[in-house]
Amino acid sequence: MELICLGHFVLSHNPEVWILGELMLNCSWGGVGGDSIHRIHPALECHSLVVSLSSFLLRFNYRSTHHLTSNGFYEFLNWFDERAWYPLGRIVGGTVYPGLMVTAGLIHYVLNLLHMTVHIRDVCVFLAPIFSGLTAISTFLLTRELWNQGAGLLAACFIAIVPGYISRSVAGSFDNEGIAIFALQFTYYLWVKSVKTGSVFWTIGCCLSYFYMVSAWGGYVFIINLIPLHVFVLLLMQRYSRRVYIAYSTFYIVGLVLSMQIPFVGFQPIRTSEHMAAAGVFALLQAYAFLQYLKDRLTKQEFQTLFFLGVSLAAGVVFLTVIYLTYTGKFSLSLMRYLCPPPRYAKIHIPIIASVSEHQPTTWVSFFFDLHILVCTFPAGLWFCIKNINDERVFVALYAISAVYFAGVMVRLMLTLTPVVCMLSAIAFSSVFEHYLGDDQKKDKEGLGPNIKSIVTMLMLMLLMMFAVHCTWVTSNAYSSPSVVLASYNHDGSRNILDDFREAYYWLRQNTDEHARVMSWWDYGYQIAGMANRTTLVDNNTWNNSHIALVGKAMSSNESAAYQIMQSLDVDYVLIIFGGVIGYSGDDINKFLWMVRIAEGEHPKDIRESDYFTPQGEFRVDKAGSPTLLNCLMYKMSYYRFGEMQLDFRTPPGFDRTRNAEIGNKDIKFKHLEEAFTSEHWLVRIYKVKNEGSSRTSSFLRKARS
Amino acid sequence: MLLPLGQMMDWASKRSVIRMNGEKFRRFVKAPPRNYSVVVMFTALQPQRQCGVCKQADEEYQILANSWRYSSAFTNKIFFASVDFDEGSDIFHMLNMNSAPTFMHFPSKGKPKRADTYELQVRGFAAEQISRWIADRTDINVRVIRPPNYAGPLMLGFLLAVVGSLVYLRRNNLEFLYNKNAWAFAALCFVLIMTSGQMWNHIRGPPYAHKNPNTGQVSYIHGSSQAQFVAETHIVLLFNSAVTFGMVLLHEAATSDMDIGKRKIMCIAGIGLVVLFFSWLLSIFRAKYHGYPYSFLMN
Repeated sequence: MELICLGHFVLSHNPEVWILGELMLNCSWGGVGGDSIHRIHPALECHSLVVSLSSFLLRFNYRSTHHLTSNGFYEFLNWFDERAWYPLGRIVGGTVYPGLMVTAGLIHYVLNLLHMTVHIRDVCVFLAPIFSGLTAISTFLLTRELWNQGAGLLAACFIAIVPGYISRSVAGSFDNEGIAIFALQFTYYLWVKSVKTGSVFWTIGCCLSYFYMVSAWGGYVFIINLIPLHVFVLLLMQRYSRRVYIAYSTFYIVGLVLSMQIPFVGFQPIRTSEHMAAAGVFALLQAYAFLQYLKDRLTKQEFQTLFFLGVSLAAGVVFLTVIYLTYTGKFSLSLMRYLCPPPRYAKIHIPIIASVSEHQPTTWVSFFFDLHILVCTFPAGLWFCIKNINDERVFVALYAISAVYFAGVMVRLMLTLTPVVCMLSAIAFSSVFEHYLGDDQKKDKEGLGPNIKSIVTMLMLMLLMMFAVHCTWVTSNAYSSPSVVLASYNHDGSRNILDDFREAYYWLRQNTDEHARVMSWWDYGYQIAGMANRTTLVDNNTWNNSHIALVGKAMSSNESAAYQIMQSLDVDYVLIIFGGVIGYSGDDINKFLWMVRIAEGEHPKDIRESDYFTPQGEFRVDKAGSPTLLNCLMYKMSYYRFGEMQLDFRTPPGFDRTRNAEIGNKDIKFKHLEEAFTSEHWLVRIYKVKNEGSSRTSSFLRKARS
Repeated sequence: MLLPLGQMMDWASKRSVIRMNGEKFRRFVKAPPRNYSVVVMFTALQPQRQCGVCKQADEEYQILANSWRYSSAFTNKIFFASVDFDEGSDIFHMLNMNSAPTFMHFPSKGKPKRADTYELQVRGFAAEQISRWIADRTDINVRVIRPPNYAGPLMLGFLLAVVGSLVYLRRNNLEFLYNKNAWAFAALCFVLIMTSGQMWNHIRGPPYAHKNPNTGQVSYIHGSSQAQFVAETHIVLLFNSAVTFGMVLLHEAATSDMDIGKRKIMCIAGIGLVVLFFSWLLSIFRAKYHGYPYSFLMN
């Protein structure tokens, strides 16, 4: 069966800048009884390639990988980054998942060893597409274990083009999820194989793959809970067998030891509640196996008394241990936060988590957008799996149910749902095609007739083609442009590229002192560190809430109070994003309330959210706005000199296009700041902090260096 | 005659919230000097006043006052009182108050400032919010402890008992647990419910549908792709299950042992369901996601 290959990319008008879109191409040619050859061919044209690493988070990953390749592996593990989170610094080695950097570094090392000089940036950019090819292969293997080869091929094709996965694996998206999904699928394939065969060889392979997954992504918690759940359900269904026992016992022990080798994970697997399910199922499995062993050797009476005694004793011991450990605090019962919808818990207690847009619940439109026809047909695949149940199909059913719950709660977790949806819909389509494509001359019962069969086949193929077309459209429109460069469309349809971010970062890079410290909101931390190469105060890692609250307080207070904070933190420059000129809605004034909330969480006496609203409870930037808002630092920095600017003749000067209001405070003067740089469309504004009076010549680091 | 502080403490030991009328208020809250501050709730709890918010706010206030009374940090620096409109209407006139409930803080020294009136509209009347306002005004932290709600665990225990007894009664005939159809159906229901966006409804609480006030037209589908109505999720649920059912029918038509006519009908019904409901789903998606260029059979 010949399947269709698909590839897509989008070029910008500017020949020097490439904006690469979705990349993955997966061709599989399955002849009759032949091998399937998987070829990956990205269709690249030979222009000079400068791909900007899109999105804020990825700059940090790239910077760490660069550090790894320049300084070596042990230097990377022990790296203390003093240019981030000034003046605290950040222990990078102990707070990242090293898998991504090590993979890129290793590929770079091997290629250079073979005298193919590839820059590390190119390795980083193309890593995700290569790994998505590998994901397609492992999906094929997994589905073949579950159903048959035809379903495997379909699944591989689906996952090669499905938008839910493409979104996290475009060229240029150098992030953990790119390699983590491959590790996930491969681990699951090896697990299914080891349960089927019961051999220690496959189980050790599974453990090694699990180790790779732990090093790559925090989502390994999903594996370490799904596999014990699978074993538990098998026990409940009375499907216990020697194979399950061997597979899980080996997996748990070896996997546990291997997962603790990652510095970031450390001792968590034996302390936190997320890993306790695995331990509990391990103990249960040992007990069950022991009971089975005894059953063969004792009489029924003896066995029954022994059974009841043993069960009550075990339950009592476990209960007391859990209570004791919780009481002495060695045990954190944080499991509820995974089961209850996180946003409600987070909104009240941790404003930072609630403010990330990817942590919102999922509408049905997101499901359909990312999965198209697969979301309608995968329940049918689930039905077929359950009706023809065996050990490994129990696994995939559990995977589907848990993944669909989590994807419903958080948009970001749609990524973990995508592989299983691809597999199950491949099973559904494959079961249908299997019966409608072949000839029924050999069958003993009467067939449906070739006409109906061909109509059905044609319609199904049309649906699949619509799916492919949808994927292409989605990838080119939604997931193709790097978010550093904004594109807008004029009336005549021509594209207008707004390169303000990069303009500003390069200005910073070239016009400020090398040790200058830049204060901005945490969203832009990694970008400033990566592209402008300056020390930042807070960045996307958000590990220190009080430090972020301090920055938020500086932004929300009036100029004198903010100046005191900035002096205490040795700030030289302040960078803000302002979208009022072009109508960009992701600017700092729109994020301002989150700054206030986070600051209020730590400094409730100085900052009150209600102060920034009008008496009627509205958030307004015009004359009717609250005076606290109109005099705070963020407002002044955003609208400095904006009152004189008239964008077009229909609106008065000082008309903010994003808020659709004329600003209230037009005559802004600064006492302690001066404007250093404003980008072409006023998107990025940089202010220099005047240091008058007290000698601020020595900061901690300068003292340390001298 | 006890000193004012002693008298207040005496009352506070009897009830967490001291009920005051006009005279008590003037003597103990308004009259200087005091070495304690008072938080007063001005309310109207009589049924004929029909103030529903007052009752809810009163409950929260009681929880707050009780938490304070039984907390380990209890001092005699702050007292909680309430004045009902029917008992102290002169106070309402004196303070120019014409809405209820209102919370005011009377500090021990000086007059109450603007911030000493609690902004009920902005903050709501949850005990935790009032406690934060008090901490703002007086530096006294009242840790709100709500009496444990035993309803949840009790219901759970009851449910388990019912299930346990049913299983025990049918212990010789546990065949129903092995019914694959039932399990498959349950799993399918769960999956379909999740993919139609019910968790979003649960968290965000949208309305069922929207009635346009000008034209009177009811729209079941939200206009933008960022939100959805409950009616919309039910429609999507129906469509998804129809497509799934169609696929299952197709498979059954090809593999089952019924006679050929029925199987042909099943087959046609199956493919019809799949194609029709998928096109409908696509058209709804188009309506929400403006700019989407593709459609299948219908627009």
